Amino acid sequence: MERDIEQLNLALNNVKILRSNVRLVFESLSSGLRTEHGEEGKENKFILELQDLLTLVNNNLRDVEGAVSSLTTPPGPFSLGNSTHLSQETTQERQQLYGQLVNSYKWTDKIREYSAIAGNILATNSFNKTYKTFGTKRRKTQTSNHNVPPEVIENLITSIDRLFSDVAITSSRPFVPNPLIQASLGRVLKAMIAFKGLMIEWVVVKAHSESNDLWTESRYKVFRKVTENCHAAMCHFHSPMMPELAVRSFMHWFHSYITLFSAPCKRCGNHLHCNLPPTWRDLRTLEPYHEECK
Amino acid sequence: MGVTILQQFPTENRTGPDTIELLSKRIKALGAMQHGNFLVDCETYTSVPQLGHQRTVHVLHNSEQPATVFSILDTGTKTIPLATDGLFDLLMMKMSSFYTSKKQTKAESKGPRFEIGDFCVKLGTITVSSNFKGILVEVEYKPCVVPAMCWDLMKEFLQGFLGFSVPSTPPTYLQNRMQELYTPIDTIHQYLEQFMIYRKSPGIGVRT
Amino acid sequence: MPRIFFIKVGQNYIIIMSAAPGSAMDSLSAALKCNIIPNQEYLLQGSVLDQYVEVLLHRLRGLCDNVDSGPESFHDHELSFALRAQGSGAAPMVLPLRVRRALDSPESPWQLRYVGQQELGDKNRPTVVRSSIDMACSSTIVEFLTELGCRMDFEYIARGYMFRKGRMKITVSKIFKMGNMNTKPGEGVEPISQSYLVELSVLAPTGQDAIAEDMRIFAEQLRPLVQLEKIDYKRLGNMS
Repeated sequence: MERDIEQLNLALNNVKILRSNVRLVFESLSSGLRTEHGEEGKENKFILELQDLLTLVNNNLRDVEGAVSSLTTPPGPFSLGNSTHLSQETTQERQQLYGQLVNSYKWTDKIREYSAIAGNILATNSFNKTYKTFGTKRRKTQTSNHNVPPEVIENLITSIDRLFSDVAITSSRPFVPNPLIQASLGRVLKAMIAFKGLMIEWVVVKAHSESNDLWTESRYKVFRKVTENCHAAMCHFHSPMMPELAVRSFMHWFHSYITLFSAPCKRCGNHLHCNLPPTWRDLRTLEPYHEECK
Repeated sequence: MGVTILQQFPTENRTGPDTIELLSKRIKALGAMQHGNFLVDCETYTSVPQLGHQRTVHVLHNSEQPATVFSILDTGTKTIPLATDGLFDLLMMKMSSFYTSKKQTKAESKGPRFEIGDFCVKLGTITVSSNFKGILVEVEYKPCVVPAMCWDLMKEFLQGFLGFSVPSTPPTYLQNRMQELYTPIDTIHQYLEQFMIYRKSPGIGVRT
Repeated sequence: MPRIFFIKVGQNYIIIMSAAPGSAMDSLSAALKCNIIPNQEYLLQGSVLDQYVEVLLHRLRGLCDNVDSGPESFHDHELSFALRAQGSGAAPMVLPLRVRRALDSPESPWQLRYVGQQELGDKNRPTVVRSSIDMACSSTIVEFLTELGCRMDFEYIARGYMFRKGRMKITVSKIFKMGNMNTKPGEGVEPISQSYLVELSVLAPTGQDAIAEDMRIFAEQLRPLVQLEKIDYKRLGNMS
């Protein structure tokens, strides 16, 4: 951060010098031949003077270019979608909103940044019990995960679609730019997954014969249980550092429900417990367990 | 509509009502609640000689799909299912000069209907032209629509309250359709298969 | 615990509540007794030349109920079957059955329909009256009827518009010969004539003859664009 500011100062200084020297060129040009040039060979002297000045300007320009190229490009403006129009609000009491909105976005970005640093520190001190390891090669800083361009999400969805042959994904965008996808898992079940940026916001699991509504739960107990477990997994896999990986791991885990009705519980060996099949899948091994057996 | 398995239950020396009572107690002990009653009936019509080679039309009603009439046409070489509105019965009356029914063949399965978790259990008393013939247990697992996926699970459920009289293989009708999507007409086919067995059987005390 | 039964007739459901699930036949005979099953068709027919059909559609749009939504279009394939057998007497027994499917909405159920002989009755009755049983069915119906012993007599494609006015249904349709089945629907079909068939019909329970009078009045309003009349099929049969 401090280095950035130093660079910026340097660049600004260079620009200042360039401007003053350019001014000198024009000054000397506008005054033309002067008494200092004397009588003899005055034209030659004048041309030599101009030449010196222009060389100086040239050098200055090179300095400016050098300084500018070493600058980091500042992040672009927030893509606020439709809320950008708030800035054009004419009502007095609402004019505040835009500023507040931008501020809150700035804050979220700051929080993300701090959490990234915190995550870094935590990762190096391996006292955590989770099996997740933060691979350094995947460390790719994203500006944020709630405010990403739609193409990035689109790419993620198509890559997930390609990942599993028995998961069919259809996406719709009722609330641009956040997509709502419907993932059909073979002939077993379907899930409605709502995204907020790259984060999974909400999951509902239902039978194929049920409606695609995001807000009503399934009429079958087994799918209500699976929905509950999906919520748990969604929170478990959530990672502010690597949102794409989080979605991918969630989908991988979700895919294990392809055996919802056919696989017996790993612990008790039975299919049914309280008239439900094993509705839990281990987060790491993906093995099926009954709620009570895990 | 989920996968449904139809299963005979041996009455041994008990009467029909006693057997239903016994099974009701068992299923209630597992936590089931009774949700009304059910009825599946079947009427069989055969073609008159003037129509050429003999064909039979089985017309079935299931209280689970009260607005639908299911018909299965048996030509001897193949069977064709048909689902229609309730008015098909009226059409069968119009057809009475081509297809006639024998009154002694009217078969019915009737009894209490229970719900337990995602399962639906129906305990049916079978009568063929009002003569008691046996007990049929229907178990439906509502969330699943592919028999192959949930057969083991359903077998476990059936064994849970019917004991070891449960065969280890699915009903013959389903065996060739384990990978297909299950639809209400499949239940009708299973009932017809059972009714045909009961019609031929001499009477009370049928064993599997 | 009371149970509720539905009998679907046309677009309506008849709801019968009973204490225990009675047999479907019981509820059907109850419905028959109450005379709530629409099994009579009141019918008037006419035709209009192709070049005047727009005028008629315009008139109908003004007269009918579905003004704001516009006329409903349809594109149906109809097959006419008959079950025949030599009866015990001299006269052969015939049971005509029609199957209809919507080519423009393949997911919709198919329709099976029995249409009886037109009733002889009163000469002064304003419309044709014939018995009719109309029901939705699954797409296995064609194979079912064929194996049942029915023979297909003819088939055609009807494309046109449907209007509603109270209980009355008005269809304006162009009839096409069946083209090659391999071509896409709508292609390779040939119109039967240079005109459109116009039908005004009501499906009602037995004995509701008042509707026939309403139909006559409505038909009067369409004159002289189209002349809707009782068509006597027997006489047509003799002519050919």
